[in-house]
Amino acid sequence: MTIGTLYTGFGYWNVYAWIMFFAIGALVVLFIRFTGRSDYEKGTYQDEVFYGGNPVPQDGEDLAVPASSSYWGFTKALASFYEVLVNLHTGILSDYMGFLIVTAAIISLLILL
Amino acid sequence: MFKMDIKKELGILPKSIWAFHCNSGSCNGCDIEIVALLTPRYDIERFGMKLVGSPRHADALLVTGPVTKYMTDRLRRIYAQIPGPKVVVVVGNCGASGDVFYKSYNLDGPVDNILPVDVYVHGCPPRPEAIIDGVTKAIVKLEEKRKELLESGGGGNV
Repeated sequence: MTIGTLYTGFGYWNVYAWIMFFAIGALVVLFIRFTGRSDYEKGTYQDEVFYGGNPVPQDGEDLAVPASSSYWGFTKALASFYEVLVNLHTGILSDYMGFLIVTAAIISLLILL
Repeated sequence: MFKMDIKKELGILPKSIWAFHCNSGSCNGCDIEIVALLTPRYDIERFGMKLVGSPRHADALLVTGPVTKYMTDRLRRIYAQIPGPKVVVVVGNCGASGDVFYKSYNLDGPVDNILPVDVYVHGCPPRPEAIIDGVTKAIVKLEEKRKELLESGGGGNV
């Protein structure tokens, strides 16, 4: 398999073009970095990322705001309904097969009767 | 080759003062007065003053509140993250002396127990005019620090 240019009908994709793009991007970033102040004291508070004055969490998970935060109130209000649904998901295959058979039986009854 | 010319950078500084505001346990009274500075009535931006959202962009630190134990480290961290030269302006009686909270068990403050304070603005809360006056006094202090930095050839954090 050779690395060539992929024409998509909307443009093209080429691995060398991507490498060039990232190389130019890296040069721009380095240039901006070099123009910054160099009198920061390493290893002190000065060197830290500004995180509202708080210590920067080492674990990435603590930094992220999960998408579920945006609908927290919705799930809280419907908690009793969700609890039933979550409890139904036992992870045991025979349970799921049971749901399938019962559902198929009910649908069959509705169709046949 | 592309290194920032600190002397040139410090030459730009006196034209305006940008402030970062930190509430270290205030009741919000002083904070509301600081926000009032931005309203059309007081409009500090006509003097080139501005509240900024990051200490990295600030020349001055406005501190309100008596500094609770929880905020001590955070205040130190924010102060350290402001590039020099920098000034600290305490807004309100709480930050200046602890005011009614001065004997409280959970205070590390007032602010001058934690940071080197340059200007105190008294009042509970201080009027916006008083805060503007305090910030203009801070500009004079900032100018002195800038000269010190220029004489020492830049670098370091005054």
